[in-house]
Amino acid sequence: MLPLPSRILASLAVSTALFTVPALAEIPNSLNLNGTTGLIDMPSGEAQEDARFIYSLAVAGPITRATISFQFTERLSGSFRFQTWRNWNELVPDAPEKLTDKSFDIRYLLLKESRYLPALTIGMIDFTGRGLYSSEYVAATKSFGDRLKVTAGLGWGRLGSYGGIGAPFGDRPPLDPSDYGTPNTEQWFRGDAAPFAGIEYRINDNWTFKGEYSSDAYVMEEDRGLIERDSPFNFGFEYQRGPMARYGIYSLHGSEIGFAFHLTLDPKTRATGGVMGAAPTPVKARPSRTADPDAYDGEWVSQPDAGPVLRQNLAKRLAKDGIIIENLSYTAQTVQIRIRNGRIDAGPQAIGRTARALSHVMPASVEVFEIVPIVNGIGASKVTIRRSDLEQLEFAADNATLLRQKVILSDAGPLAANAVGDDGLYPKFRWGLRPAFRLSEPLKGDVGVRLGASYDIRPGLVLSGSVYKRLFGNVDRSGEYSDSDLPHVRSDSSRYTKFADPGIEKLTLAWYARPAENLYSRVTLGYLERMHAGISGELLWKPVDSRLALGVELNYTRQRDTDGGLGFDEYDYDVVTGHVSAYYEFGNGFIGQLDVGRYLAGDYGATVSVDRVFANGWRVGAFATVTDVSPEEFGEGGFDKGIRFSIPLNWALGNEGGTSLGATLRPALGDGGARVDVDGRIYNTIREYHGTALDTEWGRVWR
Amino acid sequence: MGKGVALTLCKRLSAGLLLLALLAGCGKERSEPSPMTATLGTVAKATLSQLPGRRAAAAPAKATAKVTRADLEKYGVPILRVVIPVRSTDALVTPIDTKGDVVTWSTTDGTTFTLRDGVLIQTRGLGPDLMSSQAPTVSQLLTPGGTHPRQYFFLGTDDRTTRRAYDCTVTIAGQEVIEILGRSHRVTKVREECARAQGKITNDFWFEGQTIRKSRQLISGAAGFGEFELVID
Repeated sequence: MLPLPSRILASLAVSTALFTVPALAEIPNSLNLNGTTGLIDMPSGEAQEDARFIYSLAVAGPITRATISFQFTERLSGSFRFQTWRNWNELVPDAPEKLTDKSFDIRYLLLKESRYLPALTIGMIDFTGRGLYSSEYVAATKSFGDRLKVTAGLGWGRLGSYGGIGAPFGDRPPLDPSDYGTPNTEQWFRGDAAPFAGIEYRINDNWTFKGEYSSDAYVMEEDRGLIERDSPFNFGFEYQRGPMARYGIYSLHGSEIGFAFHLTLDPKTRATGGVMGAAPTPVKARPSRTADPDAYDGEWVSQPDAGPVLRQNLAKRLAKDGIIIENLSYTAQTVQIRIRNGRIDAGPQAIGRTARALSHVMPASVEVFEIVPIVNGIGASKVTIRRSDLEQLEFAADNATLLRQKVILSDAGPLAANAVGDDGLYPKFRWGLRPAFRLSEPLKGDVGVRLGASYDIRPGLVLSGSVYKRLFGNVDRSGEYSDSDLPHVRSDSSRYTKFADPGIEKLTLAWYARPAENLYSRVTLGYLERMHAGISGELLWKPVDSRLALGVELNYTRQRDTDGGLGFDEYDYDVVTGHVSAYYEFGNGFIGQLDVGRYLAGDYGATVSVDRVFANGWRVGAFATVTDVSPEEFGEGGFDKGIRFSIPLNWALGNEGGTSLGATLRPALGDGGARVDVDGRIYNTIREYHGTALDTEWGRVWR
Repeated sequence: MGKGVALTLCKRLSAGLLLLALLAGCGKERSEPSPMTATLGTVAKATLSQLPGRRAAAAPAKATAKVTRADLEKYGVPILRVVIPVRSTDALVTPIDTKGDVVTWSTTDGTTFTLRDGVLIQTRGLGPDLMSSQAPTVSQLLTPGGTHPRQYFFLGTDDRTTRRAYDCTVTIAGQEVIEILGRSHRVTKVREECARAQGKITNDFWFEGQTIRKSRQLISGAAGFGEFELVID
């Protein structure tokens, strides 16, 4: 039985395989046991295609490695790895039965392969951890024809431990335990350097042979009696199944057998080959003004029942796309429709469908369509489309670009006084019981059920709560107090996992509003997350066409009991936290965020994060927080850092909307640099309907 | 994926009230000939009864009575047959929207094909759709040796609009007699050869007078070519 996350991903792979289109992608540059681009144990000089997201599972004798890698840009990639050494007590009976460690890698493609020059990569493995896997390398790979690739490189650290040729940059000092978790700068490229090399031969489209000369002496593993390294030569075969899955079997060190499975996902494309879902209704053409001048008469505005009738007709048309009308207001020339988009995963498509529905329902005199997407009860932006543009461009070549040039994007503005709302929307109670995943490491997670309910009191005011019950999984639930010197604002998570089962995750009253143009506000009161409760307030400034947004957040929280109930007896801890935040959209889906302020343990510092967001809803990012807590106080890990990702399940299944699979992966969860985890932070909810995001996906407007 | 769409069409067909989409090739390979094998009503019944084991039951569907022109004419609407070989899709579609010379044809499950005077300009609901295009007019296609630009717009990676631009040349391949659902048509075969740096495509049109009676036109990279036959005017 595969471990849970791989099962999830494997099922994803199976479901995506069903939809594979006949034109297969090229076979990706191959991966090694570390889950990074390379041979068997050694790295290569190549990189993966831009944005590839890879899950790897490798078993090499007594060592298991589970790795998530992401090609952040064409040249830069990062990996997060979870390693286990089994039989760790083979020679040292007092030692624990197994040793686990987490590591980060980073690598950069210096040179792309050209006719005469090889691909050249510089990289660091486990560059910020305890150093069990630490190594640095430079590797070059050259293809000869389309079957043979040859790699040669020079490694330091573990990769410089066999067959060294001297230490060109000086000795490698031992790693002080106090430096665990911080970038091991004093060690990088120090100590003995050793060459490594290998070849890769593609036998046919599916099978590849690999052979390498390894410069890793496996000193630690030999000392512990885990591995007998009889030979520096490794070789094996790999089988590529479709564009996503690759399997490998290897002979390692002359003494061990290794297996690998790699799942390569491409967030830039859909597994289905395109956006699925039924075609839109065509635009309804109006009669020409000369042929039927009466149709353009605006008299209908004075009919008392016009509003409810129009609203009802529109609601009927939009319901099949999961779009709900919050409000409708109109004059003889202009209509403003405020919509809630529940299902379509691209703002422009929801806007396009709404515009087409308006063309069917609104009398001919209405020339201007104002469409206001509503998120959490507040207007995110206003998209103004002239009906005649819609009519003229429907069948034009490159109609999306042409329409975008005509559309005006602006602040949502206030609700019109004569707006026709819907009695059925407020107040409204909703609830759901759903399976839920909590993934905490590449090989650790819980599967449970979440009972959630919400009560929409009026637009922007919502009471909501959820209860989680774990069903099975392998997340730490020892229930022991952590030995952290800081207030245990996060590190007692095993207690929360153990005792709050089932437990109230959250129970909050949230109020979202638009205090002024370009300003968005949120106040959330109650049980904000499973460990902290209190009040959280936020104000965000974000003009619709600005790449920059600025925000402030202020929270007062008390730490909750671990039993998932409503009490505060177990920890006598309350704290005021808050941040000033800047968000910037660099384009191409890259979003940077800087938060400066006070964290839950009372520490002061800053968080830098970069996320890459894809049109189809994928999101992959990395973050790091440095506060005035010393690395010793923080504990293992030194400072807070990690990667996070979110994969929408509709990407694999091809339907519109739906849930996502995601996680934040950290080498260690310490108490420093922790923020309260409140729902509904504004930026990411409204960004989808602002300029940069709408432009990225604008091609969907005619979908 | 082709199967996915085909099955959807098949399922909708069973429930379809309009019954104007027909999927003779449901769940079977393209290598088998897929004439319209049943009247619309019979197919509906056959498909319903076969629902539990649809894949296995594809063969018996062939045994049902052959659809005739008279059956289709009863509906009193134009009917276009669309075959997409890489998807094993074979459907009859009817107009849902007409604006001047542009007609949008739809299956009952919401896949649409928009043609301007018989020249494909858009599709929706296939997944890898043709989002928009700059396509030749009928008079351009009927000009031997004529040249024209052609542009296709798709949703590419990361949902961004991508463009393929070609330079095309028209040649008249000659006169032919083709048969569409039991009726012979004397047609002129027109070949539109389009080239760009990365490759070539060829669209074929069979003109009956000024009317495109039959055609084979590119839809998109992943959906390949579609074959269109105007069965009922």
